[in-house]
Amino acid sequence: MQVSQGGSNLQSEINITPLVDVVLVLLIIFMVVVPILMDGYDVDIPRASGDAVAAQAAEAQVVLSIVPGACNILAPPPGEGLPADCRVTLADEKIPATELPTRVAEILGGRASENRVLFLDVDDRVNYEGVLRIVDLAKSGVENLKIEFVPAH
Amino acid sequence: MRAEPAKMQAAINITPLVDVVLVLLIIFMVMAPEMRKGPDVNVPNTAKPVHQGDERTQIVVSIDESGGLWIDDKPFTVDHLSEGLRAAVGNEKDPKVVIRGDARLNFNQVRLAMVAIEDAGFQGVGLVAKRARAQGE
Repeated sequence: MQVSQGGSNLQSEINITPLVDVVLVLLIIFMVVVPILMDGYDVDIPRASGDAVAAQAAEAQVVLSIVPGACNILAPPPGEGLPADCRVTLADEKIPATELPTRVAEILGGRASENRVLFLDVDDRVNYEGVLRIVDLAKSGVENLKIEFVPAH
Repeated sequence: MRAEPAKMQAAINITPLVDVVLVLLIIFMVMAPEMRKGPDVNVPNTAKPVHQGDERTQIVVSIDESGGLWIDDKPFTVDHLSEGLRAAVGNEKDPKVVIRGDARLNFNQVRLAMVAIEDAGFQGVGLVAKRARAQGE
């Protein structure tokens, strides 16, 4: 039948309509979503104006202090994580920063989640990226951990 | 019926369309990270940051490498930050402030901004970071 006509109805081109569909959808996704999503950490600074967590009894507060003498993060820490010899003070005890997740879980894991508050007393000179990496470590130990930065020294 | 011209193409030639769309896709993929409002900020890398939501519904305070404060793309001094924040709230019901701080800052510079934001009446801020695996970008 048609074969006798030299096969003029045979399509030799690839059907690219599905490809166009997929590419258009990808285009729209990239246009809309990518520039607007942000990641990060929720933190707080307790202020005198009736902050609920600031009212927590002083002896119940767990303080994590970061001083540059014990943890050398005056400049952004290279690569990922923290310097291997980085030590921080958690509840008056000097510990290596790598132990933070387990120690925070030990101390605060037993509390009700609204009382899981970690107060961070950070030296002015400490690098911001280093602080965020310590916050990341502390938060990875226990769910729903609230971070409160002590406002000043 | 056999006399009908069998070689006439009824389909639209969409190859140029595909070319244009692919080029647009590549342009957007490359440009997307640089389309943010505000100054260039080298955001810290951390292991497990959590979502801070949509940039358009939040007030983004940027702190550049030299400690300069910005709300979106307008520079502010620390004394005028709270006025700028109140103006930026508009009629937003539950405004959230996020800080995009540069990785090279001292913590003190970030804390000054946090204190100014809390003094302006906001409860809590988000500190923007990016996942460490995105480091190669």
